[in-house]
Amino acid sequence: MSLPGNAMDSLSAALKCNIIPNQEYLLQGSVLDQYVEVLLHRLRGLCDNVDSGPESFHDHEICFSLRIPNTAASTPMPMSIFSLRVRRALDVSDTPYQLRYIGQQELGDKNRPTVVRSSIDMACSSTILEFLTELGCRIEFEYIARGYMFRKGRMKITVSKIFKMGGNKPESVEPISQSYLVELSVLAPSGQDAIGEDMRIFAEQLRPLVQLEKIDYKRLGNIM
Amino acid sequence: MGVTILTQFALENKTGPQTVEVLSKRICALGAVQQGHFLVDCETYTSVPQLGHQRTVHVLHNSEQPATVFSLLDNGTKITALATDGLFDLLMMKMSQFYTSKKQTKAESKGLRYEIGDFYVKLGTVTVSSNYKGILVEVEYRPCVVPAMCWDLLKEFLQGFLGLTAPTNPPTYLQNRMQEVYTPIDTIHQYLEHFTMFRKSPGIYRN
Repeated sequence: MSLPGNAMDSLSAALKCNIIPNQEYLLQGSVLDQYVEVLLHRLRGLCDNVDSGPESFHDHEICFSLRIPNTAASTPMPMSIFSLRVRRALDVSDTPYQLRYIGQQELGDKNRPTVVRSSIDMACSSTILEFLTELGCRIEFEYIARGYMFRKGRMKITVSKIFKMGGNKPESVEPISQSYLVELSVLAPSGQDAIGEDMRIFAEQLRPLVQLEKIDYKRLGNIM
Repeated sequence: MGVTILTQFALENKTGPQTVEVLSKRICALGAVQQGHFLVDCETYTSVPQLGHQRTVHVLHNSEQPATVFSLLDNGTKITALATDGLFDLLMMKMSQFYTSKKQTKAESKGLRYEIGDFYVKLGTVTVSSNYKGILVEVEYRPCVVPAMCWDLLKEFLQGFLGLTAPTNPPTYLQNRMQEVYTPIDTIHQYLEHFTMFRKSPGIYRN
């Protein structure tokens, strides 16, 4: 057995070699409830997991944020905000919780086919909720997502219904709209822009059932 | 994974490397076989004043669980433990505006790892920001996961090669958890307790 390396050194080495999948390439769209079956049918035909059928999921996601006032006068934002998301499966017990950091979307080039944003995704123990609260985070919002996941190569396609939290009972949840959210995403190390082109081609194949687009969050007025 | 006991060890008028050599000879005389190396390290981050009352996050790695990062968050009254994948370190870097690392307190224990029957023995040399602080001996008894069931056996084993300076009571951290199932995070808690003691000690720490 060789000498165990320092964890931080191996992380820096991994960063240098650019092997950490820390960029998310994303396209989003939506489909009305009455047409979702048609879309699912189309996806079943196009995606890899044909035999096993689509994988269903039922997740609860909570978004936390850390905020501190910005003291430097030069910065345009009055607050520094750091968001973290925690996701857990409601339909499968004993799976680890997922902790996720999503960075600001890169402005980049207008011709780039997808949104690119930094993303750090990891499994964690169930103590994460208490840990984040103690860390000084507060809950921004939470929701329940239920739907199907498909794969095509390294692309991931999710079709999910988003529900508002209705008190403490999971049965009393209420859908937020009469449509499904459709997301096409890939997690990859930075600089692999070719994947954006593959995603654009795949998105083309889903038209006109669903129009997957680069969503500009700033235009939606969200504080990211 | 079994039950692990961590204890500090020092010999009068002996340097760190000499102490490790004495222990290594004793344990090999008992029939132990050297099985590679080990490393446990700890980096500490503190919250910036704008976040309110001060909190400390200790991020630890143990070569025994190489794909996991352990974090212990101390808010002054209690400690919350978290186990995550390796990318947690990257997240702490992103959080540098909120939690800053105290580089001068980086602690680690590293050395050789031995196997002797049902026990693993690790002889660690402790450094705090590269300054030698002392020796930590880790003994793991693998077939059992409840500390109360194997404490006496571990105590006897430790006396076998540490002599009279071997601990007579379980580590403070374990004393209230003797009947609970032991997990890797319990080892991490013990390391943090010792690292904190070493960091506070002015020079070389002796029992």
